[in-house]
Amino acid sequence: MLRHPSSYRDPSGFVYREKGAFYRQINPVYFEEYHTAKNAGIYQKLFDKKWLIPHKEISVDEEKIIILPEQLDFISYPYEWSFSQYKHAAQLTLRIQIFLLENNFSLKDASAFNIAFHKGKAVFIDTLSIEQYKENAPWRALKQFNEHFFGPLLLAQKYGGQYLKTLQHSINGMALSEVKRQLPFTSRFHPTIYSHIHLLSKSDTKESSEKTESKEARLSKSSQIKMLLALEQHINTMTSKENTEWSSYYDQINYQEESFQAKKKLVKEWCAAIEARKIIDLGGNDGTFAKELLDQADQIMVSDIDQPAIDQCYLNQLKSKENKLLPIVCDLMQPSPAIGFHHKERDSFTSRVIDFQADVTMALALIHHITLTGNVPFEMSAAYFAKLTPYLIIEFPDREDSWVKFILDSKRDARHLFDDYTISAFAKAYQKKFKLLKSEKIEGTERTLFLFERYEG
Amino acid sequence: MNYLLYLDPGLGMMIAQAAIAAIAGFVLFYKKVITTVKAWIGLKKQQKDSSFDSNYEQDSESK
Repeated sequence: MLRHPSSYRDPSGFVYREKGAFYRQINPVYFEEYHTAKNAGIYQKLFDKKWLIPHKEISVDEEKIIILPEQLDFISYPYEWSFSQYKHAAQLTLRIQIFLLENNFSLKDASAFNIAFHKGKAVFIDTLSIEQYKENAPWRALKQFNEHFFGPLLLAQKYGGQYLKTLQHSINGMALSEVKRQLPFTSRFHPTIYSHIHLLSKSDTKESSEKTESKEARLSKSSQIKMLLALEQHINTMTSKENTEWSSYYDQINYQEESFQAKKKLVKEWCAAIEARKIIDLGGNDGTFAKELLDQADQIMVSDIDQPAIDQCYLNQLKSKENKLLPIVCDLMQPSPAIGFHHKERDSFTSRVIDFQADVTMALALIHHITLTGNVPFEMSAAYFAKLTPYLIIEFPDREDSWVKFILDSKRDARHLFDDYTISAFAKAYQKKFKLLKSEKIEGTERTLFLFERYEG
Repeated sequence: MNYLLYLDPGLGMMIAQAAIAAIAGFVLFYKKVITTVKAWIGLKKQQKDSSFDSNYEQDSESK
């Protein structure tokens, strides 16, 4: 039994993996809290609301209680969420805290890593974060909430999606003094922003110079609920400018509706031929292609560098009541690294994708970006794709394709460096790693679709 | 109970919460007044499709 390396902060228990399943051990120190919450029906009520990941009790003895949570298919981290995903994760945390307060419980932390996306929606996964409420105690996780959620959201709203990646370089969230420094002067006049960012960042610095240990902070429950309600209402109204202005990529594509349909048909047929149930769509944009495969697949991960596109994918899925898509913001030229202590707290994007054990990777309209914009040689991209899944469906736009022409033209003097960007060089390089099963030119375009199977061993 | 305090909240921030809550009380009151006035003059706020609640409501319907 091995404790998961991310599960060391809270002494109440830890997560471990056994025979491929994740379990949670509860230590005696948390027994009383666990039983109180269980007997009060808190866990069940939260399961019914679909706010908390459901779990089953596996064993109870004097030394430990073991619970088995419903298993997540894939865990995405906050720095891979789109604006609406981040916002909903923040709202879920606050809603849970308000609900718990009403039932005389409270969250002892408010880390963004306590939220995962499961079956299309945000769900709280840290069961042991729930403790009994102490009369008139302020919420001790408020500062952490603002560092993990409110700060990054405010900056993302103001300056763009790159701020949603804050936790990738600051695993404990963004210092509120830093958030304050980057917000415009006028933000001081906004009561919610002023109190949660400016005021709290002051209390932070004051504390280091003054010893205030003798004082005891008090806040009535109804006041705390009001404070959280106002914060939740503010977050609820937040929108991202770049997301609302995002116009559909598929309005700008360089080929005709018939070609688009032909490509869809090929992808569907090939996925059916290899009996793909788990699919990874790299550069999947807003999930237009992934959606076509919904009835023949169990799960489809849609990853894209474009945050607004993934946001659209997430929102579309919520509206359609589907739950098979896993939308993830990821730049393949710099996928999320392994971070935290010993590089083991949060796995890299690639190792999580490998663990996901999908059947096929789709890379549609992607290779020209990787090769021409990213300068990655064919051999290297082939080696990367071969690591991910046994099958690969990849689209190759040839030199005559208008997009490729545009990128090549923008290379100006360095254009000759890309003379090797040809379909034969591509096929040759990829066949070192893969066996070519099928290839077909998409009618009416300068693009060819390939189906590869990787050489094992 | 110190073992439970693995997250150090900072006492200053705990005290500041009283002020934040007071401001929040004002904000909520102000919003309520605005909503009441808007409802009174016939402006009704519409819930967006992508709102947090609609995500989980759909579920309880399908249950």
